[in-house]
Amino acid sequence: MADASMADAVRIAGAMVGGGLALGGGAVGAAIGDGLAGSQTIAGVARQPEAQGRLTTIMFLTVGLCEAAYFINLAFTALFIFSLYKK
Amino acid sequence: MLGALHLSALPVLASDISVGLHPQAKLGPLTIDVDTVWATIIAGLVVVAFGLVLRAKATSGVPGKYQLLWEMGVEAVQKQVDDSIGPRGAKVVPLALTIFIFIFVCNLFEVLGIGSHFEFLPAPTSDINLPLAMALYVFVLVEIAAIRTRGGIGYLKHFVNQPFSLWMFPFNLFMNLVDEIIKPITLTLRLFGNLLAGGLMLSLLAALVIWKLGPVPLGGLLAVPLTVVWKLFDMAIGAIQAFIFALLTILYFDTAMAAQDH
Repeated sequence: MADASMADAVRIAGAMVGGGLALGGGAVGAAIGDGLAGSQTIAGVARQPEAQGRLTTIMFLTVGLCEAAYFINLAFTALFIFSLYKK
Repeated sequence: MLGALHLSALPVLASDISVGLHPQAKLGPLTIDVDTVWATIIAGLVVVAFGLVLRAKATSGVPGKYQLLWEMGVEAVQKQVDDSIGPRGAKVVPLALTIFIFIFVCNLFEVLGIGSHFEFLPAPTSDINLPLAMALYVFVLVEIAAIRTRGGIGYLKHFVNQPFSLWMFPFNLFMNLVDEIIKPITLTLRLFGNLLAGGLMLSLLAALVIWKLGPVPLGGLLAVPLTVVWKLFDMAIGAIQAFIFALLTILYFDTAMAAQDH
């Protein structure tokens, strides 16, 4: 009885901590990637203001791809926290 | 009665939130998520209705606003295909355009949700089955295009003789297989993850407000401005992800149809 609840506690704790790590790492990566894309866009527009439309389109494309990695992490976190902690 | 079911299925505690819970039906050995199929059919009918309305209103004279919108869209996709693949990619344009419009319409269904377990019209792309089906479909088409460009033997040879020399063929094989398999996997997970996060956020906002502010009179109404703000952001994300899926489809066709080796 004590062993069962200890195993349960470990499993739930492991699921939560794993989900938190996935979310944290993903957020850092997404933020750095978006920041790099934005900074290069600002530099490009500063150098050549008439290219703003094209550069903004490419920036949103890159932001979408960077955020994709974060959302994949988020989907796995949701899997850990809401499904995997159950038996 | 259904409205009561809709509202009563709102998550009240954060531990009530569940992921991947769909009403299911069994078709022989297969289990089908009924609400995803239902929403996919409706999204398909909406896209077909757009096309039929265009065909009814299309004129070779002065175009109306609706036709102009479509022409802008088609020309944007054609320009993108032309820039990436060139003239031999003309067959990719209808596929890319359909994928973009269909995924965009599917993602817009997210705006109708309130975060409860039972949704009338969930975003079908928030179930992994629809993005997976679309990604596998695109993957099969891309491989067929590669076989047509390179010939059967050339297609098999390109797995072992690049990027390093033929003597390192296990390493080449491993790298090229990973390269090929990762394409449908990331296409799926990118679209699914974004939409799942959107729906999950609605559930979390609803649960948070009900849990914390339920006892306060009219406190639950705070969920409305919060979810509205989130839904605006979610619409932008849905549009970006639809664009990325279509653009990556075009780029995968480009790498498949590139006739040179290495």
